[in-house]
Amino acid sequence: MVNDRLTTTLAALADPTRRAILARLCTGETTVTELAKPFDMSLPAISKHLKVLEHAGLIARGREAQWRPCRLEASPLKEVAEWVEHYRRFWEDSFDRLDEYLTQLKSKERKHGRHHRRRRRT
Amino acid sequence: MAVTTDAAAGREIVASRVFDAPRDLVWKAWSDPKHIVQWWGPKGFTTTMQEMDFRPGGTWRFVMHGPDGTDYQNKIIYREIVKPERIAYSHVSGPLFEASVTFSVQGDKTRVEVRMVFESAELREKVAKDFGAVEGLHQNLDRLEQHLAKM
Repeated sequence: MVNDRLTTTLAALADPTRRAILARLCTGETTVTELAKPFDMSLPAISKHLKVLEHAGLIARGREAQWRPCRLEASPLKEVAEWVEHYRRFWEDSFDRLDEYLTQLKSKERKHGRHHRRRRRT
Repeated sequence: MAVTTDAAAGREIVASRVFDAPRDLVWKAWSDPKHIVQWWGPKGFTTTMQEMDFRPGGTWRFVMHGPDGTDYQNKIIYREIVKPERIAYSHVSGPLFEASVTFSVQGDKTRVEVRMVFESAELREKVAKDFGAVEGLHQNLDRLEQHLAKM
């Protein structure tokens, strides 16, 4: 379930600046200069973050030397969502079943308890 | 029911729920092989128990049968057992992860929280080696015990 690509994706997402960059890219492609604007960071620092995101396949960049717009690549995010969904389903279902089972156990214990008391009285 | 992933903490999934049952009963449902197979796994799955040695270092092996007929072999090694508060285990068949389950009293109810931390590729080898060493040690102790019994 956890493959190396997922590990790379999660590592790339483990930084608030990179998550903010991805959030910005959800509204459409843009330049590095535009991306850097909201952050109190140098362009090289932003470029470093972009390299991590690009390596993780979370963004793609245009080929033109002057105008290299960044855009979001959503497929690794889908993988993260599927990974979480797998375990969400596992625990949600298991907890549902445990809940029902505990109800059964409780009613059994109650019956057993009554039986016990009755026997003690006689 | 809350299931979250905290990417910032790195590869962690947390699931929790409050059950309307006393903690001792919830503990029983997790620690007794005859109980745990009754509820473990997603809807439509059944579990075949192969071995459940419920103590630190003990192994739990089981097969989960999916509704489509697919079998999933699982192996877990218990790392820590603090009755009736906490169980920590390592899932040593793929996917590798470390899990801790805490049971806390909330009035006459019990809150169960499961935390799963998934290993990075770099850690996998190290963990596998550690487990190998721990298992080897237990096997050796078992053999020693058998040997001492014969003496």
